[in-house]
Amino acid sequence: MQHLQALIILLSFAWGSVAIAAPDHTSDHQHQHQNVEPSAALASKRYNAFIEDLSESNVAIVNVLGMVCDFCARGIEKTFKKDQHVRKVDVDLANGQVLIAYSVDKVIDQVEITDKILANGQNVTAVTVVKI
Amino acid sequence: MGIRLLGLFLCLFAPMLAARPISYSGGSTLMGFSNSMQDSIYYHYSPSYRYSVGIEVVNDKYTDQNYVYGRSTYLLDRQNTQHSQRNVYLQAGVSSHGLNHHFVGIHGDWETRRWFSGFGLKHVQNKSVQYSETFLQLGVAPYLGDYGDLHTWLMLKSKKDTRLLGWSTYPVLKFFKGNLLLEVGYDPKLEWDSHLMYRF
Repeated sequence: MQHLQALIILLSFAWGSVAIAAPDHTSDHQHQHQNVEPSAALASKRYNAFIEDLSESNVAIVNVLGMVCDFCARGIEKTFKKDQHVRKVDVDLANGQVLIAYSVDKVIDQVEITDKILANGQNVTAVTVVKI
Repeated sequence: MGIRLLGLFLCLFAPMLAARPISYSGGSTLMGFSNSMQDSIYYHYSPSYRYSVGIEVVNDKYTDQNYVYGRSTYLLDRQNTQHSQRNVYLQAGVSSHGLNHHFVGIHGDWETRRWFSGFGLKHVQNKSVQYSETFLQLGVAPYLGDYGDLHTWLMLKSKKDTRLLGWSTYPVLKFFKGNLLLEVGYDPKLEWDSHLMYRF
């Protein structure tokens, strides 16, 4: 059994050193896999359904890597809904995209959006803001 | 003994050693596990997406004991791509029976919306027994649900517990909708292997 424990510890060191050396290494892959372009999202049925009942809003179209699981994406919706300026959130698993509707008085900070997505464990590749 | 303490120290305090900033606060999860060897209820809180700390109340059927684990899980590595996510985690726990009763482990997964694969390796040291649990798991989603739908996974799990003889391979069904997840497997030798989870 000591061999097993030694193996676990060795693996810990090996993976840990990689994680410490490249703490944000997930972003290394950001440019290798581009999501659906925001311009394409603007023309999609999903986007049109999302903005149907909206007015006087700014919509952030956020492309996300690693959003492959409904259960794992729950934190994204919860995190953004804590913001009182957020009126609506939609998660599109198929296209790796999140739509966030803000009230117009909110100054949208792309870094804040990126940080909130990262806090859920995913990476942002692009943010486009559209005024409705 | 020294190597065990070092392993425990590394796993429990890896977040501090790695000096990761705390970037997210909030998520907590309640889980229930039940199989032929033990029943348990596990609650954990994640100060960041990098680690969680929690408490697991265990009814150990093998030793006929009840105890509580203080547990920590650390995300050692994650790779996100548009269509997949891969994770490697370390876990460790110390029992209310003392430092001589503890576990260390590593587990990982890789998944797309259609495919899932996972593995786990856990070593448990108790005063009366020491054993290891190893598992491999493969799964496929028969349909791709949208966000908010009921999601279903058909899985095959192979598991070895050194307290028992050989490997057991059995089917597992996994369902989740919203914040609720249910995983149920059945093997004639191990009987039911079930896992219920709610994320707050």
